[in-house]
Amino acid sequence: MTDATPTAAPLPARTALAQRLKNPALLLVPAVVFLALIYVFPLIDLFRVSMSGPTWSTYFERVFSVPLYWESLLRTMQIAFTVACLCVLLGYPTALLIHRTRGLTQILIATAVILPYFIAILIRTYAWMVLLGRNGPINKLLQMLGLIDTPIGLLFNRGSVLLGMTAVLLPLMVLTIYASVSRLDQGLTRAALASGAGPLAVFWRVLLPLTLPGIGAGFLLVFVAGIGFFITPTLLGGPGDQMFAMHITQQADSITGEGFLQALAVVLLVITLIVVGIAGRIMGFEFIWGGGKMDAGARSRAAARKPAARARRRGPGMVIADLLGWPILRIMGRLPAGWGRWTVRGMGGFVVATLVIPIIVVMIISFSKASYLTFPPPDWSMRWYEKFFSDSNWMTAFWNSLAIACLSAVISVSLGATAAMGIVRSDIRYKSALMLLLVSPMIVPPVVLGLSLYSLFLNVGLTGTYLGLAAAHAIGGIPIVVVIVAASLQAVDRRLEQGAAVHGASPLTVFRTVTLPAIAPGLGAAIFFAFLHSFDELVLSLFLSSPRMKTLPLMLWADINYQLNPVLAVVSTLEVLLVVGGIILARPVLARGRAA
Amino acid sequence: MVGMKKTMGTVSALAMAALIAGPALAEGEVVMQDPGGAYGDALQEVMYDSFEDETGIDVVTVQEARSGPRIKAQVEAGKTEWDLTFIFDQETKLLGDCCLADIDYDKMSDEAKKTLDSMPENLKRPKGVALQVIGVGMVYNTDVYSEQQPESWADFWDVETFPGKRCLPAWPRFVMEAALMADGVAKEDLYPVDMERALKKIEEIKPHVSKWWTTSAQAPQLLLDGEADMCMAYTGSSSILALEGAPLEVEWNQGFVYYDFFSIPKDAPNYDNALKLLSWRLDSQRAAELTSAYPVALPSPLVYEAAGPEISKYWANNPDNLAKAIEWSPDYWGAESEQGTMTNEEYGQERLNTLLAQ
Repeated sequence: MTDATPTAAPLPARTALAQRLKNPALLLVPAVVFLALIYVFPLIDLFRVSMSGPTWSTYFERVFSVPLYWESLLRTMQIAFTVACLCVLLGYPTALLIHRTRGLTQILIATAVILPYFIAILIRTYAWMVLLGRNGPINKLLQMLGLIDTPIGLLFNRGSVLLGMTAVLLPLMVLTIYASVSRLDQGLTRAALASGAGPLAVFWRVLLPLTLPGIGAGFLLVFVAGIGFFITPTLLGGPGDQMFAMHITQQADSITGEGFLQALAVVLLVITLIVVGIAGRIMGFEFIWGGGKMDAGARSRAAARKPAARARRRGPGMVIADLLGWPILRIMGRLPAGWGRWTVRGMGGFVVATLVIPIIVVMIISFSKASYLTFPPPDWSMRWYEKFFSDSNWMTAFWNSLAIACLSAVISVSLGATAAMGIVRSDIRYKSALMLLLVSPMIVPPVVLGLSLYSLFLNVGLTGTYLGLAAAHAIGGIPIVVVIVAASLQAVDRRLEQGAAVHGASPLTVFRTVTLPAIAPGLGAAIFFAFLHSFDELVLSLFLSSPRMKTLPLMLWADINYQLNPVLAVVSTLEVLLVVGGIILARPVLARGRAA
Repeated sequence: MVGMKKTMGTVSALAMAALIAGPALAEGEVVMQDPGGAYGDALQEVMYDSFEDETGIDVVTVQEARSGPRIKAQVEAGKTEWDLTFIFDQETKLLGDCCLADIDYDKMSDEAKKTLDSMPENLKRPKGVALQVIGVGMVYNTDVYSEQQPESWADFWDVETFPGKRCLPAWPRFVMEAALMADGVAKEDLYPVDMERALKKIEEIKPHVSKWWTTSAQAPQLLLDGEADMCMAYTGSSSILALEGAPLEVEWNQGFVYYDFFSIPKDAPNYDNALKLLSWRLDSQRAAELTSAYPVALPSPLVYEAAGPEISKYWANNPDNLAKAIEWSPDYWGAESEQGTMTNEEYGQERLNTLLAQ
């Protein structure tokens, strides 16, 4: 950060200092200091505690010698891998469908995918519990069709875990793939078609290779998220589906677990980092924040080198594709025409249904009169809404969540947006590394983060305070803000800024009159998403809340573990309305952003 | 109050606005661990509301099933947040020296002293007083087993005579003892638990267990939903449903009886208020009222006598029930296991989890 500005000619000392203070790289300082204190330092401390046994490796030996833990580790990898495969299989056609349809259909499909993405994982998992329950709609439907006599147990097994996790993570996959599909040059497919390639050949030789990076990025993001998953397997799984993150929370319930507990977390963290590291080596770390847009400056410099490198890398891929692909293609070519299109439509439709139906069922159940979960509701009433709004515990939790989320959004946006300015506008070295630091909280399993913060918060007295929880949530909020704001900053025409500056505007005036209006849509979206991130956050809050501090997700969590009553459906419905409302409110702004 | 002021100092103006909506603190507060669910509701209604009206002290409840590890972390960091918690019997030894304050019995109210006098010595220790006697027994659906009823853990394991789905807690305590009794071990010879033998027996019943539950409300819910027909369950949460007319019955034979000890953590912010609340709960008349609302009893004959027989039939300290139940050993589960660093309970948990994960 002490780098001199590259344009600096020899200047008098005072001017040099002033110049240096104007260096946009300084904008990175607040966010980096914040993350160092509240994110990097606690993780380092986690390593220290994990090695505090009789010898440094004592606790790690236990992790890998007791079958319970290492078998669970293998199971976790296996589940995450299966979920990632399922997500690719289902997500790719959906992304294509969004890309190919037009008008209202496109908007509907896109909303069906994007909406769940912003609804809390806890609520979507709960929706699946309702759907798969003994008195749930699926069992009722099967009974009505006469396929079964008595309700069957659809919950608490590997199938329900895979289904729930896939449904929860699918939007992430679809959006990642869509980002790469939408960047595709339509001319290429048309050219291929015009040159006589059939639709299948176009898919195999043009579409698939070009969108492969997107698929890879989506696969890895889902896999990494899956490794650290905690909420969904806890609620939907049986004892045979224990995932690794669950052992960490269980050990937190044991008096003698100190040290071993941290070792479990370290193992989970290290495995995540290894996976991300390998992926980053192969495809560039940009996959974490979606596309390689961040390093525009460096990119154009490296542009001359890149095409050659990429062509070389695709060489063996093409050979394999041809060897494997053509025989398959020949067989598939015998299928009736239009088959491919209908596959895409069928799978896409199925995906949209699995994403939307649970939410709708939950919304319907919130108006049920019955005191237990049954679908369709025997009768209608508003009693659960009355209960929610008249119960002081729920209302306090709601206000707590609101206050924390607002505060957290303020922290995330002020630190994240300045950091994004610093990244995009400065010319410092190690830009990629800094960006990696800023977005890395996205890939650290929340359970690990929560555990690492637990003792720090306890010692500093932040446990269960608004500020503490808001700051903890901001760890995950900052990456969201940085990614969104950096992307919108890159879209700003720098010549406008330079023009204003040339005409005598101070840097602040330039920012206020030129840059800010241009990035306003992005900033608005960033505020909204940072708010939602905090509003929905459960896992960190589980570790960092205190007796007085109950947030909405915490109340939901406690109730889900106790009894599945329709009040939870009310909270879920309200959250869906909040997200829908937010998106509708933000739409004019977002649309302006897209047009710009 | 100090803690509260400190909090107030750090929150932003925004958060302050939200705080104003909360109740004002007049005479201070007492932070109390709460079991939640129907029991939590009964406590609020019978105990806390009247306590707040009478003393002006706010009762802040924290829903947490198990407090031990959190207390340890809080006390060691010098940031105790809780004033009154319940501790599992097997944990009182481990936590006693490090983390719990002495209870000043002299400062209790006269009613409380009267109740305390009627309680066995072992239940009023320097660092904890038993406020609830808990029963764990066999609970079954009377519609499913209308002709022949299960009477022992051997019957529970006998899926030929008593077909149907089972549910069990996902804990080594109680489950291992039940397995041993089902395997023919006499109740005097249960301890030390032969874990290998118990695990082998648990493996037998495992395919028939639809859910290994973890919170007290789950088992009766599973029974009501038809997810299970016969469960090992808390007698309190099950019998309240039976009293309401649900088709459930509690079998006390070979059941387990134990006590939850209420303790004040070291450096609790509101020690005196905690004592006041303890006194309040030890009032035999009020305790009987609570137990009538939710059948978890205070282990004192005074309370037992103050309640009606149709309710006390379900109480864990009803002499009839006590006679059938076994004396569960917290000392065994709290002791250090042969493997060293862990307690028997933690070691048993690890072994049971391994079995369940297969």
